[in-house]
Amino acid sequence: MITAKNLTKIYKTYHKTGNIITDLFQRQYKDKKALDNISFDITEDELVGFIGPNGAGKTTTMKILSGILYPTSGLVEVLRFTPSEKEYAFLKQIAFVMGHKNQLLWELPAMDSFKLNKEIYEIDDRTFKNTVNELIELLQAEKLINQPVKTLSLGQRMRMELIASLLHKPKILFLDEPTIGLDIFAQTTIINFIKEYQKRYNSTIMLTSHYMQDVQRLAKRLIMINHGRIIFDGLLQDLVAKYSQQKMVHITLLKPLPKDFETPEEIKCEYNFPQLRINTQKEHIAGILSYMLKKVEFTDVTIEDEPIEEIIKKIFTSSQNTVSPPK
Amino acid sequence: MIRNLKIFWLYSTFSAKTAFQHRVGVISFLSGKMIRFLFSLLFIFFLVSKTKLFVGYSLNQTLIFFLTFNFIDSAAQLLFREVYRFRPLVITGELDGVLLKPFHPFLRVLVGGVDVLDAITLIPFFALLIYFILRIPSLTIQNILLYGGFLINGICLAAAFHIIILSIGVLTTEVDNITLIYRDFTKMLSLPIDMYKEPLRSFLMFGIPVGIMIALPSKLLFGLLTPNVFITSIIISAVFILFSLYFWNTALTKYQSVGS
Repeated sequence: MITAKNLTKIYKTYHKTGNIITDLFQRQYKDKKALDNISFDITEDELVGFIGPNGAGKTTTMKILSGILYPTSGLVEVLRFTPSEKEYAFLKQIAFVMGHKNQLLWELPAMDSFKLNKEIYEIDDRTFKNTVNELIELLQAEKLINQPVKTLSLGQRMRMELIASLLHKPKILFLDEPTIGLDIFAQTTIINFIKEYQKRYNSTIMLTSHYMQDVQRLAKRLIMINHGRIIFDGLLQDLVAKYSQQKMVHITLLKPLPKDFETPEEIKCEYNFPQLRINTQKEHIAGILSYMLKKVEFTDVTIEDEPIEEIIKKIFTSSQNTVSPPK
Repeated sequence: MIRNLKIFWLYSTFSAKTAFQHRVGVISFLSGKMIRFLFSLLFIFFLVSKTKLFVGYSLNQTLIFFLTFNFIDSAAQLLFREVYRFRPLVITGELDGVLLKPFHPFLRVLVGGVDVLDAITLIPFFALLIYFILRIPSLTIQNILLYGGFLINGICLAAAFHIIILSIGVLTTEVDNITLIYRDFTKMLSLPIDMYKEPLRSFLMFGIPVGIMIALPSKLLFGLLTPNVFITSIIISAVFILFSLYFWNTALTKYQSVGS
């Protein structure tokens, strides 16, 4: 459904020398490689989390896949189309929602934008009515559609953006930071909606988000990108299994720690009575627990995997150390 | 085609809805434009009624030059008002949303903001134009048809100018100053082009070519054009329009969008 092969994108950026004359008359440009020979395939019905730090190349990749940007080199095929050719048959099957950008008519109610999209995507009256009602119900947005967009909060507007983008039931949905800047309630609404929508329509979804919990809740597969290169492409559970060697032990103590309590240097402890947090390698868990049973009195113990954010952070840090940024 | 017209109609309706939400803006825009027009009209009237001729043209003819300029200028603003709002679209990255829609982007960025207020000002310009044209002593049907044809050509050239402005906007995000330069050049043609000396006159006529856009229809109406100039003008118009479309397509391949 989506194929990217040896995809490279180079941006030309203006380089300031600081000399006004040179900057004005002999302007210097630098090539910035945003994507460096990346390849991947996404099949039908997949929901892929596309993650990476700022400037890693996530949005650039999605913009090339949707046809907004032209690749510098490489092959891109989406639904058997070449996106940059912007064929209407292709554009009618995709949607791109950008969390930080408005695609609605700003001064008018969202319903006007929906009507416009109805004509643009040639949706018949009945389908339009049914789809709008269904999406409104899923997003609990009945009262919002007749309010001018400029009076809506960010979370409300994002719900309207989603309805406007999904009216034509796209086969492929690109979601670029759909929950950015939203409070926890709005975030949950959007995430639940995406999950439900994908289940109902079997759409292929590519999602970027800085909130790892969003990605964790939605995507089975992750593509991690840094400095324009893919550093991981696989299942989220494989990522955890491969990179998470740590476990977090949370203990709620009954009494303060005894004076002779000590742990080996490689085991990190955070102690703030009554909470004791121990960060350790998986293989040390049994030893630690038996030591605790002997040494301290406690009311509760939980053992958790390392937070996904920590794992991802570690991978990015190690990739930064091993992969030099492309010039 | 019908689909495009429907989309155009919807954009125009929404644009009118938006315009009429700002009542103070409507009143100040309309009164400002009409006051400016009346002062210019009176200036020409007093100037040419004293001298009788202006670079060889009668008062009636000079007023036709002026009204033709106003008609094309207002028609261009009526149709291509959205170009004046293009810069924010590029610098916020919202142009991305336009490029993703299954229609030609011109439906949104070129003619997507038809200004109903300009339509209101167009009515008196058109009425006055007809009044002064009917006062031409040796008026022929052929000249009227040529005049009408070249008015349409003038609007097509105005579209080409605006497409070039959009293309420059895509490449450099610069729109406002380029628009001002374009408007300054067109304003030079509010009076007969013959008031300028060579080579400026030829430059304005064929070089830019705002002369073909604004001055040529009036000259055709007065029967003052040689066949050579006529044919050259048609060729230049066609080349200019094709160039603007080529420039737009090239600009899109260089579009860098903005970061997330």
